[in-house]
Amino acid sequence: MRTLYFPALVLGFVLLQSTVLNFISINGVKPDLVLVLVILNGFFRGTREGAFWGFVGGILQDLISGGYFGIYALTNMTAGYLGGLGEGRLYRDSRLIAAGLVWVCTFGAQLVFYLLLLVVDVRVHVLTALTGIIMPVSFYNALVVLLCYGLFYRSHRQGLLGGGHY
Amino acid sequence: MSGLSLGKKLLLLGLLIIVTMTGLHYSAGGIERFTPLASSLRDILSPIQRGIMIAGREISDFVATPARLIGLSKRYRQLEEQNSQLESQLLQFKEISEENIRLKKMLDFSTGLTPQLATEAAAVTGRDHGNWFGSITINKGARQGINSNMAVITPAGLVGRVIRVSENTAEVLLITDPRSGVGSMVQETRSPGILEGVAGGQGNLIMVNIPADLTPDRGNRVITSGLDGSVFPKGIPIGTVREVRREEAGLFKMAEVEPYVDFNRLEEVLVVTSFKLETP
Repeated sequence: MRTLYFPALVLGFVLLQSTVLNFISINGVKPDLVLVLVILNGFFRGTREGAFWGFVGGILQDLISGGYFGIYALTNMTAGYLGGLGEGRLYRDSRLIAAGLVWVCTFGAQLVFYLLLLVVDVRVHVLTALTGIIMPVSFYNALVVLLCYGLFYRSHRQGLLGGGHY
Repeated sequence: MSGLSLGKKLLLLGLLIIVTMTGLHYSAGGIERFTPLASSLRDILSPIQRGIMIAGREISDFVATPARLIGLSKRYRQLEEQNSQLESQLLQFKEISEENIRLKKMLDFSTGLTPQLATEAAAVTGRDHGNWFGSITINKGARQGINSNMAVITPAGLVGRVIRVSENTAEVLLITDPRSGVGSMVQETRSPGILEGVAGGQGNLIMVNIPADLTPDRGNRVITSGLDGSVFPKGIPIGTVREVRREEAGLFKMAEVEPYVDFNRLEEVLVVTSFKLETP
């Protein structure tokens, strides 16, 4: 089931991020729902599947954006892997722990994104990147998890995103 | 996958990263058309995005304002647009007036530079889904005569330029994007400079390479310089100077610029399909 629903969810979240989430942006920053999905998927499935589905979701984002091919794939793969490090080590039933994990993983993934931007010669001042994008997105993603973790938890336990390991 | 040894897994991962990095390297070269797959995806998604955007805007308005004040909110927006138009016209008149004074001083050389613009109106259907880049998608593309490097404006001022087109959509790089650079000048002091974006979603602009002897003052207006080869016509308003400071290298000054356009509330834009410099 996940093979079908995961890409559909990524597509839906990309659509939301490119449209209505702009109405709730704070200082030009909006939550990155795809990144949240990828990190939580890793948290529930482990590093290998986390990285794999992160890569798949990222490739989809790259295809839709039509920009730098691979930048989202590598970023989300890292995020999925980092999320997977929490599997078996952290308590899943607490939304506070999940939010903390998402904060850390978003921070790490956004740092990778920043480094990849340097590879393609896009320069953003490091202080602007940290205070204007990386930190606010990390907080915003953590807030989304605090509010919506129950939905994702149930979906993984018995809903659309459930199912065996690959 | 589970049957592979650790070495082979690492080798596969390494190959995957190398292939992706290669893709990243080659796609960074400024492609002016989307790939066929990306183009089709965008053409399909554009009307859906437009629908979601309209619905989202309505809901946002409803939530933000008490129901009884919705009419007032719309009226306020109309007045705001009208005000932006009038401000823009005033700026253009001022630019023409200053130009006339300069030209009269130049021993009757009559080289009027009033740009003649042909524009195509387009609706904003979506924005970049990430937080790093500042770009918007509009519902006009190659089929409607839109090409790469066309300037995009609103009555309030400069928005950006078209960087990629599909059949029915185009991607516009906002001037707030860190990849953007616009030849500009300060209207009052005639100081030239390059206007750069700071970070995608934020409405901050920085004008760099301003000669130290032509330092602008706070509140001065910044317009496009329209130098030879520029994709932007001359005289389009961009914003006002907020703060001036010395560049790190010390030779030039730099200025923080507050844009006239509210990039978070863009709904319709005008694509400049052609412009010419009139020489009477």
